[in-house]
Amino acid sequence: MTAAPTSPSDSQDGKTAPLLEITGLTVGFPQYGTKSLAALRNINFSIARGEVVGLVGESGSGKTALARSIMQLVPEPGRIESGKLIFEGRDLATLDSETLRQLRGREIAMIISNPRGELDPLQTVGDQIGNVLRAHMELSGDGIRARVLELLRQVSIPAPERRVNAYPHELSGGMAQRVVMAIALACSPKLIISDDATSGLDVTVQAQVLDLMRELVAGRGTSLLFITRDIGIAAHFCDRVAVIYAGQIVEEAPRDEFFENPHHPYSILLLSAFAQNERLRRYWLGDTTAGTGARTQDEGCPFADRCVRAQDRCRTETPQRREMAPRHFIKCHFPVER
Amino acid sequence: MSLLSVENLVQVFPVAGSKALVRAVNGVSFTLDRGETLALVGESGSGKTTIGRCLLGLITPTSGNIVFNGLAMGGKRSVRSPEIHGKLQLVFQEPAESLDPRMRLHEIIEEPLRALDRDRSERERQVREAATRVGLPERLLTRYPAEISMGLQQRVGIARAIISKPEIIVLDEPTSALDPTARAEIIDLLIRLQRELGTAYLFISHDLSAVRQLSHRLAVLYLGMIVEQGESAMMFAQPRHPYTVGLLSSVLLPNPKIKRLTQIKLSGEIPSPIDLPQACYLAGRCPLAEDRCRSVMPPVETVAPGHTVRCYRIDEVARMEKAVDYFGQFQAEADRILGASVPNET
Repeated sequence: MTAAPTSPSDSQDGKTAPLLEITGLTVGFPQYGTKSLAALRNINFSIARGEVVGLVGESGSGKTALARSIMQLVPEPGRIESGKLIFEGRDLATLDSETLRQLRGREIAMIISNPRGELDPLQTVGDQIGNVLRAHMELSGDGIRARVLELLRQVSIPAPERRVNAYPHELSGGMAQRVVMAIALACSPKLIISDDATSGLDVTVQAQVLDLMRELVAGRGTSLLFITRDIGIAAHFCDRVAVIYAGQIVEEAPRDEFFENPHHPYSILLLSAFAQNERLRRYWLGDTTAGTGARTQDEGCPFADRCVRAQDRCRTETPQRREMAPRHFIKCHFPVER
Repeated sequence: MSLLSVENLVQVFPVAGSKALVRAVNGVSFTLDRGETLALVGESGSGKTTIGRCLLGLITPTSGNIVFNGLAMGGKRSVRSPEIHGKLQLVFQEPAESLDPRMRLHEIIEEPLRALDRDRSERERQVREAATRVGLPERLLTRYPAEISMGLQQRVGIARAIISKPEIIVLDEPTSALDPTARAEIIDLLIRLQRELGTAYLFISHDLSAVRQLSHRLAVLYLGMIVEQGESAMMFAQPRHPYTVGLLSSVLLPNPKIKRLTQIKLSGEIPSPIDLPQACYLAGRCPLAEDRCRSVMPPVETVAPGHTVRCYRIDEVARMEKAVDYFGQFQAEADRILGASVPNET
């Protein structure tokens, strides 16, 4: 794995500010007659320039809510209740819609899963990539066409001169995902968010697309936030890993440190799900632990009801974020230590 | 005699408004023994699901023989014939979509028994038994599918499949829609059920980690043709077909130290089953392809007892791919890193 051009540790010693720094972010969805449901609770999280961060969580954990908060596109009626999202010195939560419109696609781009759903079925591939360039860059007709072809070539689409006039239905899933990547890369954004972008692809194609994504950002110093439920992607394509559970980042560490010394019981549960060791699986996954979900109470650890290590304190006192090793943070009263 | 044998199965679909044909399955043969799991592995478009549907009689194969328990299927005999009724069952990929949203869970689970005309007290007894077996709490039986998690929904799907005491269950990607923890629970459940009930599984999947845990034998499909078939453990350690190597090296095991080291990298994507390549189907994507691969279909070679490969370049693959069991390495690492997290007394 090649190292990112800017060492992520730079952001930690105060020399360079991180590209994006999120502090105390809470996103809630109002519920009728009761207090709002928190999709994200008190998230503290940052991404350095050129860094590839993997955000791993299961469905409903708040992965997409975090991506959408960064884009300032939290779906109605949800809203950001508190917190700051500082992107290059500006708090995204305070920007007006026109400034945000200029920012999206230009500075921050997002790639979602289901590429065919994201593309307009009535426009050619070339027009759709051109739209982004037309909106954000000062380019003329020929300039746009040249840039579109260059982008298609960069994402390894064979015969770009022919594909530029293709409609989305004429493309395979992998090709469509490459077109979506070309749209994301069009304006050389500083941050790309990939929200489960490869989950719909076949395994051999997924490997190709991931290799390509990693290669493209490494050459430009672009930061990449890889949101996924597949912890294997985090293991092979990211510099740093953050695990999210019930709207909280429960563990966060540089990649090798995370996989060598996982501390949070939920991280270990996720990893045990891939192990074939029966003793390990029985202990962490239980024989029939059917139906226990995350706790929604304000106090205590959200994982307490599923955790084999939980004690009384876990249900009454919310664990605070603390540093177990350099840059290795967890939220747990009783972490696993070797 | 095998519980099930499939010989030279072919399935062709017409394309609406055209003379073209979709050649979904092109001469597939395999057997399945009692209590055994055979995994059918391949990408989308490789014909996995079509094969499962042919077995269940949901579609009539274009040609080929399917023999179940010594009885030739097809013609007048189908899954609905009295001597076979209830002996073959199916678990679907999308648990939510395979359960009727307007039926309570106990009604869903007992449906196969209604088709078999079992009386009411018998049905109730068996629903409770099936629910217990799959770890579905009895208090949930009066709920609706939308009220329970996806992992539990899949348990309902499995309970519905085992209730008629089938001899074969076709598992059509039962874990691919699930989150990792729910997925692990369902795999464990399927392994336990097979131990308890002795049911044979035809496990259709592209999740190779799950395949390694669950299956005894493995058949790798590419464009409706089995390119490699053999004992699961051996194929994971020593894959001999370039496509199997490509599939195995695409798996991202959650440990950064287990690098995907392979000299055989597949390019491109699976071609359309409408215009099949002339000779070896993989030739267009295979880095080892030579002229004969593009002109004459390679024969099936037996490389070890029960291990067959359809490729000219078997020796080249064996030379390039050192026998490294990445999955085995990963398990050893997982034991080392995570093993200490389990207290000794358990």
